[in-house]
Amino acid sequence: MENGAMDIQRCAVLGAGLMGAGIAAHLANAGLPVLLLDMEDRANSALEKLKKADPQPLMSTDAARLITTGSFDELERIADADWIIEVIVEDLAAKRALYDRIDAVRKPGSIVSSNTSTIPLRSLVKKQSAAFQADFAITHFFNPPRYMRLLELVVAPETRPEVADTLTALCDVRLGKGVVRCNDTPGFIANRIGTYWITAAVNEAIERGLTVEEADAVHRPMGIPKTGVFGLVDLVGLDLMPLVSKSLLTSLPEQDDFRRVFKVQPLLMRMIEQGNTGRKGKGGFYRMDKRGAERVKQAIDLATGEYRTSTKPRLEAVDAARRDLSVLVKHPSPAGGYAKAVLVQVLAYAASLVPEIASDIPSVDEAMRLGYAWGQGPFELIDKLGAGWLADEVAQAGMAVPPLLAMRKPFYRVEAGQLECLGLDGAYTAVKRAPGVLLLADVKRAAKPVLRNGSAAVWDIGDGVLCFEFTSKMNSIDPEIMALLGKTVALAAKSHTGVVIYNEGENFSVGANLGLALFAANVAAWPMIEEMVGGGQAAYKGVKYSPVPVVGAPSGMALGGGCEILMHCSAVQAHAETYTGLVEVGVGLLPGWGGCKELLARWQANPALPRGPMPAVAKAFEIISTAQVSKSAAQAQGLGYLRPTDGITMNRDRLLFDAKAKVLALAPGYAPPKPAEYRLPGPGGRVALELAVDGFAAQGKATPHDVVVSKAVARVLTGGDADALDTLTEDDVTTLERTTFMSLMRNPASLARTEHMLTTGKPLRN
Amino acid sequence: MSASQTQAVIVGFARSPFTPANRGALARVRPDDLMAQVVRALLERTGAKPEDIEDVIIGCAFPEGEQGFNIGRIVGFLADLPITAAGTQVNRWCGSSMSAIHMAAGALSAGAGELFVCGGVESMSRVPMLGFNPVLNPKLSKEKPDSYIGMGMTAENLAERYQIDRPAQQAFAVESQRRAAAAASGGHFADEIVPIMTKGGLVSEDGCIRADTSQEALSTLKPAFLATGTVTAGTSSPLTDGAAAVLVCSAAYAEKHDLKVLALVKSMAVAGCAPDVMGIGPVPAARKALARAGLGMDAIDLVELNEAFAAQALAVERDLMLDHAKVNLDGGAIALGHPLGASGARITGKAASLLARTGGRHALATMCVGGGQGTATILERA
Repeated sequence: MENGAMDIQRCAVLGAGLMGAGIAAHLANAGLPVLLLDMEDRANSALEKLKKADPQPLMSTDAARLITTGSFDELERIADADWIIEVIVEDLAAKRALYDRIDAVRKPGSIVSSNTSTIPLRSLVKKQSAAFQADFAITHFFNPPRYMRLLELVVAPETRPEVADTLTALCDVRLGKGVVRCNDTPGFIANRIGTYWITAAVNEAIERGLTVEEADAVHRPMGIPKTGVFGLVDLVGLDLMPLVSKSLLTSLPEQDDFRRVFKVQPLLMRMIEQGNTGRKGKGGFYRMDKRGAERVKQAIDLATGEYRTSTKPRLEAVDAARRDLSVLVKHPSPAGGYAKAVLVQVLAYAASLVPEIASDIPSVDEAMRLGYAWGQGPFELIDKLGAGWLADEVAQAGMAVPPLLAMRKPFYRVEAGQLECLGLDGAYTAVKRAPGVLLLADVKRAAKPVLRNGSAAVWDIGDGVLCFEFTSKMNSIDPEIMALLGKTVALAAKSHTGVVIYNEGENFSVGANLGLALFAANVAAWPMIEEMVGGGQAAYKGVKYSPVPVVGAPSGMALGGGCEILMHCSAVQAHAETYTGLVEVGVGLLPGWGGCKELLARWQANPALPRGPMPAVAKAFEIISTAQVSKSAAQAQGLGYLRPTDGITMNRDRLLFDAKAKVLALAPGYAPPKPAEYRLPGPGGRVALELAVDGFAAQGKATPHDVVVSKAVARVLTGGDADALDTLTEDDVTTLERTTFMSLMRNPASLARTEHMLTTGKPLRN
Repeated sequence: MSASQTQAVIVGFARSPFTPANRGALARVRPDDLMAQVVRALLERTGAKPEDIEDVIIGCAFPEGEQGFNIGRIVGFLADLPITAAGTQVNRWCGSSMSAIHMAAGALSAGAGELFVCGGVESMSRVPMLGFNPVLNPKLSKEKPDSYIGMGMTAENLAERYQIDRPAQQAFAVESQRRAAAAASGGHFADEIVPIMTKGGLVSEDGCIRADTSQEALSTLKPAFLATGTVTAGTSSPLTDGAAAVLVCSAAYAEKHDLKVLALVKSMAVAGCAPDVMGIGPVPAARKALARAGLGMDAIDLVELNEAFAAQALAVERDLMLDHAKVNLDGGAIALGHPLGASGARITGKAASLLARTGGRHALATMCVGGGQGTATILERA
C-alpha cells in the first residue's frame, strides 16, 4: 500500500444506469465484490443486461458473480462498503438528498465519490457534514467504463489526502485507469476540450459545406479519433450534445471561447426530434439502411437533412498529409481549410486552459488520449504544427494568444534520453512515471537496441532482463522474428536473467506474415514455406526450453502465431484487455507453430475433463476449428490459451514492469518445463470428429472448405495414424502439424482464403 | 414347469418426471440415484417382496460415467435391495430398457427366476450423446459409412422417401403435445410418476411438454439437421433426463402374492433394418412380434410407438397402417421427452397400464433403435 492508501475490499454503486452498471461491472472485473443499488428492481435487470451486452462490460463469468443487486430501499446494505460511488441522475437536489441518506448509514471513514460530469464538487458537498466532505471526491469514468481508460479525479481542499491516495492507487493499479487529477472546473478536462472540439468541428463542416464523410476523413490524419467527429457523436448520442453544452454554458466563465463557438444547429435539433439520436436511436449522421437482406450505409446530407448512400471520399489533402499534420493544414483545398480552422481553434482553446483545468500539460494530453481516444493530446499536436505557427495563426484570426503558446516553445523535448515537458514558467522538467510503470518508449529514448533486425529489436530493460519487441508491420511474425528470437534466447542464456516478449503497439501481434506465405505459395516455393513453418516451430521450442525464463506480455490482439508464441513462454503476464486465439482456420490453415500441440497438452492436463483419449482432443478441436478468440485475458484462461497461473495486469502502462517482475521472480533456480507426452485416439477419434463436422456441414453451419480444414485439424489433434497405445512426443505432434499445414497450404481454396483476408481484412467463407 | 410359471406378466410401472436436459429440474441428479428412486417406489407401490428379486436389469444408451459401472448392481445397492438380487446392465441404444423386459421374459420362460426389476435411465445432461470418448472404427466408417449415421439424418431420409412434408410433421408434433398436455391435466400421469428428491426440492412434474405450441410456432424453426431439410427441434424428441421401470414376474408368482397384473407379455421381437432409415425399425419388429403372437394388426387395440421424430413415427404408422387415434393416447416422446435408455420401459409400462385403463385386449409397444433396428412387444390384458 502506497502512502496513506486505505484497503478497499468492498464497493457499492448507487445508480444502475448505463454508467453505474458499467462501473459496477468493471469493479467486479478487478475482483472487487460490489453491491449495485437502484430503484425497485432496476439493478437486477441492469445486471442481466450486463451479462448480454456487447462489447462485454464483464471480463468473465466469475466477475459477474461478484455483483449483488438491491434497491435504494435497503440503503443500509452499503454499511460494509469501503468505497461508495454515486452514479444517479445529474440533479443537484437528488444527489444531495442521497448523500444525506448515505451519510446516515455508511461506515465511518468510507470513501464516497460521485461520477458527476457537470456538477462542481464544492456544490455537491456544500451542505454535508465535515466528515462527509473529508471523505468525498469526484471519480469521473468514461463510457464504457471497462474500455475507456480515463478516470478524472477531483478533490477539494477539505478532502483527506488518504482519499486521493487510495482512489489513485486503486483506480490505477486495480481498475487499470489512467488517473488524471483535475481542478474543480466545468467539464473537468476531457469534456471541456472534447465538447469544444465537437462543436467547432460540426459547425465548421456545416458552414464550409463539407460532407460528414469528408469531415470524418480529415480527422483521420489528425489522429482524433478513428470514428471521426460525426461517427463519435453517433456513438455517444446526438441528444447528449445539447445537454452537455447547456450545462457548460451555465457554468463556464464569461469570457470562455466556448460561448463564441456554440451555436444551436437546426439540423441537429431536428434529428433529435425525429429520433435520429445516433447508434442507440433510429440512426444518426450515419445509419444502416436495411433493404430486404441488403444493408446499405447511409449518411445525412448536412445541407438538406436527407439520408443518402454513404461514399468514401478520396481527399487530396488527406492523401498528401499522410501523417504530417502541417501539410494538411496548409493544403489549399476545402479539406485543408477545414482542418486548419478546427485545429487552430481547438488547440488554442486547450492551450488557454492550463493551469485553469489542470496543473500541467501531460495531464491534458493524457486526458484527451484516454478519454476521447485521440491518438495524441492537444499539446502533442501543437508540437507537430509548431507552437510559433499556431500562435501566429491565432493572432491572425484576431484571437488572444494564450501565454503558453506565446512562449513559442515545444511542449515536449528529449534531453539525454529523458522526456521533458514545458512548465508554466517556461522551464522544462522530466515527465515522471508512477512507481510500477515502465514504458518501452522511455527505454528506447535513452538507449540503443542490444540486437535488431528488420522485424524485431531487443532492449535491455534493466536487472539483466531483455525485452524482445516486434517491429514489423502490424507486428506480424516472419522468419526475421524467428531468427532474432533464437539469437535472443541464446544471448539471454549466456548472460542475462530472462526475456520479456512485449511491444507497445495497439496489438501484440495479428499473427504470421500471410503476405510472405502467399507470395511463396504463388511461386510454388513449397520448401521455403515448409522451412518457415519448421523454423517457427524450432524458434518457439527454443523459447519453451530456454534455460532462463521467457515471459510473454500481450495487450490487444494476439492471434495465430502471436497466440502460439505466448503458449510457449515460461509464463505470461497479460494485459486484461488481451484478445487471443488460434484463428488459422479462418485463412484456411491450422496452427503450425506448436499451437495444436500446446493447447492439446493443456487440456490433457486439465483435471476438470473426463478421462480417456477424447475429451481433451474434442475440447481443443472445438476451440481451434471454430477459431475462438478470447474477449479478455480472463476468458483466455478459460479457453486454455493462458494458464490459470498466468498473471493479469489491469493497467496497460504497468504491463512491462509486471512482466519483468515475473521474470525476476521465476529466475532463481529456474528450470524449463518437462516435455508433454500425448496418448491420442488415432483414426478412431478422427472419424468421430469428422462425423461431427459432416453434421455441421449438413446443417449449413460449415462451408465446404470448413469441412476440409476442420478435418485437417482433427487429423493433427487425434495424432494422425497413431494407435491409442502409442505415446507421442511433442516433436511427433509438431511434425503432424507441419505436414498437415503444408497439405492445406497447397490447397487452392485455402490460398483463396488467405488472399481474401489480405485484400479485404475479412474471412472468405468458401 | 407350468405355463403360469413361465408366462411373464407386468405387475407395475413407474417413472420419474421427464425433464429437459441441462436446464431441467433433474439435470443435477445423478442417473444412478434417479433410477434407484424409481425402483424403490416401484417396489413400494406394487408390494412385491424384494428378497424374491432374481435380477435388476437396467438399460441406458451410453453406459459410462455416472450411468456406467454396471448400473444394475449399483441401483440395487442404492435402492437398498437385498444383496441376493443380482444386477446387470443392457445396451440396445434407445431400445435398452425394452430389451431389459425381454431379457426378464426370456429368463422366466427358461425357468430362471420369478421376479425381475426391468428399467432404464438416461441423464442426457450428465452423459453426453456419443459418450465422453467416442472412438469409432475407421475401417467400418469408410466401408459402411451409414453405420455411424446421425439420428437426425435418418429422419430426414424417411421424410424424403415417404414424402412426409413439414406441415404433416408439425401437425403430428402439435397433436402429441396436445395429448400429453391433456393427459397431464387429466391426471393420467399421476399413477406412473415418482416424485424425485433433488437438492432443489421435490420434482413431481414433467418438464418438456409445450402445451401452447402450434403449427405457426413450429413453422418458424430452422431445420435442425439438414439446411435444406424438414426436420426441426420441434418435430424431434428433445434431449431429456429421466428413468422408468417395470416389474416383471411370472403369472404364478403374481397370483401367489396377490399382485395386480397389468398385462401379459404375449410376444416380443427385435429386427434389423438399414441404418440410414433406422426409424422404420418398428415395422419389421412389430410384424415379427405379431406373427409370433398369432395376431393381425387389426387385433391391436392400442399402440405405444416411440416418437424419436415425427417423420419417423409417421412413416411407421403408414407402413403398419396404424390408426393414429389408437397410437400414443397420452402423447409421445416429442412432447414428453426421450431419455434414451428409459423410453423402452416407459412405453411398455404405459401400454400395459393403458390396457388396464381402456379395457382393450391387445397392445403393441414398439420403437426404433440407432444403427438400424426395431424392437417390439405385444401385451395382452390380464
